[in-house]
Amino acid sequence: MSIIVTRALTRRYPGVTALDALDLELEPGIVGLVGANGAGKSTLIKILLGLLEPTSGAATMLGFNVATQRAELHQFVGYMPEHDCLPLDMTATEFVAHMAQVSGLPRYAACERTAETLRHVGLFEERYREMRGYSTGMKQRVKLAQALVHDPRIMLLDEPTNGLDPEGREDMLDLVRRVGTDFGISIIMSSHLLSEIERVCDHLVVIDAGRLVQSAPVSAFTVQTGILAVEVDEQADALARALADRGLRVSRRERLVLVAMDGKAPYDTIRDSVAELGVGLVRIQQRRQSLEDLFRPAEEPDGIAT
Amino acid sequence: MASRPESAGSIYDLGYRRYEGPRLGRGHAITALYVQSLRAAFGLGRGASSKVVPIALLIIALVPATIHLGIAAATSSSMDIVQPENYFAFIEIVLALFVAAVATELVGRDQRNHTLPLYFSRALKRSDYALAKLAALTSAMLVLTLLPETVLFVGNAFTTNASWEYLRDNVAAIPRIAASALVVSSLCAAVALAIAAQTPRRAYATGGTIALFVVSSTAGGIVAVTLGRYGALLSLLDIMRGATLWVFGADQEFDVAGELMFGASVGVTVAATVLVFLRYRRVAA
Repeated sequence: MSIIVTRALTRRYPGVTALDALDLELEPGIVGLVGANGAGKSTLIKILLGLLEPTSGAATMLGFNVATQRAELHQFVGYMPEHDCLPLDMTATEFVAHMAQVSGLPRYAACERTAETLRHVGLFEERYREMRGYSTGMKQRVKLAQALVHDPRIMLLDEPTNGLDPEGREDMLDLVRRVGTDFGISIIMSSHLLSEIERVCDHLVVIDAGRLVQSAPVSAFTVQTGILAVEVDEQADALARALADRGLRVSRRERLVLVAMDGKAPYDTIRDSVAELGVGLVRIQQRRQSLEDLFRPAEEPDGIAT
Repeated sequence: MASRPESAGSIYDLGYRRYEGPRLGRGHAITALYVQSLRAAFGLGRGASSKVVPIALLIIALVPATIHLGIAAATSSSMDIVQPENYFAFIEIVLALFVAAVATELVGRDQRNHTLPLYFSRALKRSDYALAKLAALTSAMLVLTLLPETVLFVGNAFTTNASWEYLRDNVAAIPRIAASALVVSSLCAAVALAIAAQTPRRAYATGGTIALFVVSSTAGGIVAVTLGRYGALLSLLDIMRGATLWVFGADQEFDVAGELMFGASVGVTVAATVLVFLRYRRVAA
């Protein structure tokens, strides 16, 4: 069963179309939502949560209509916003237990699950202190805990690593990954850092200017390309010319000479050309496409097809 | 990883447990928010500094009853200094200050902290949030209005020599005390929330509410003197007094019919309540 289905989902602001007829169908799992700032990530998340009304189109989450069945749906949804959202004069325990009750959990269950959830996210004695004194990392953990405390079936995390130092970032990504895989909760996680998405997510949705660019498993984005990267210690330009003279399709990128494989790998030709020039060969490597490539201008402008 | 200290927040595998218990939905969510807000109105569950203003004002609201009972006890005779129908007139400024200070703690605070999206993405509708906050503030005002009246009533019964006769003679006052407290409390709560919900800024909300009570009172006074007696209808404090007197069947202080004062109170309460709900239909989350 699809966890999220959108049909021609559109949201317009005066002068701006934040979401433009978005059609999307997502299976359970950990889904990364990628796009530049203003691409429509937060708008999509807010419409799915019922915080914003779509201008037109419709969406369902967990089979519930996000506009008309909110009360039922929201019992099974967790949301971690990008911005600050914590009352700093409360303790983490009080706040998370209160939020659990507002999600519909009875008082005793709310207290019990609050203790467990705060432990899961790695808050211990601090949870009895006012949140005023918390570090950014601790606040992010509380934000995650309040989204998790009522055992939702799906969590929407808007830039969960925002403002964290590298170590806090690692911890948060580990947590998100664990929630998704070990706890079996579906996750939609937005980020503008592809490396994060690549680490944590199974599926990737790329949107740009409110339109769907691509929706596919992460593995599909990182397949091997038909390109060899050759690095030499000097005279890279001369090598590129020599290889082109031997009938290979070649381009330059920084210190690398990129060679199209066109069926069979031209290792011998490269070896011979390097030897003739008398330069040092550092490495020959088949290039693996990374998610970053999606957002780069095509790297082979001279007719090298990938 | 193994060398990382605990405080850095290593994740321990404690085994995640699914929640299979009941999910009680909207009604429970509203109740939870109501209870939390009512407690917050008196600073319960918050730091000591949050308790100072509401508790101090609650104590001040009890002063007229205390003085009355003190004199009655000292002279051991039944006194008519403070009557149930004019108690609110003694403490109307205290009521206005309390509701002005507390309303923004209940609603402005959630806007300041950006907590609204967390509420609106839970088992609550936007209107449920407004309802819970209105009910909580009205209840807090009922504490402030009913507690002194109760102290006065019970104290009067004990300071006379004939307690049972006092109770028997005054039992009819009980529903009137309750009704007038409800009218005054719901008017104050609705008006203050209608203002406090517009802004996350504490100073604007508190100042605006106090200003409305004071300015409407002044304006009502000026109009009453210059243009005619119905000027009293412009004053929130005056219509609260008038409605209370009407509920008790007592003589009006102003030359305006009691029904009109009562009607004006209900009208203002309804209008302010509508404003609160409209605000929460639109407020950005």
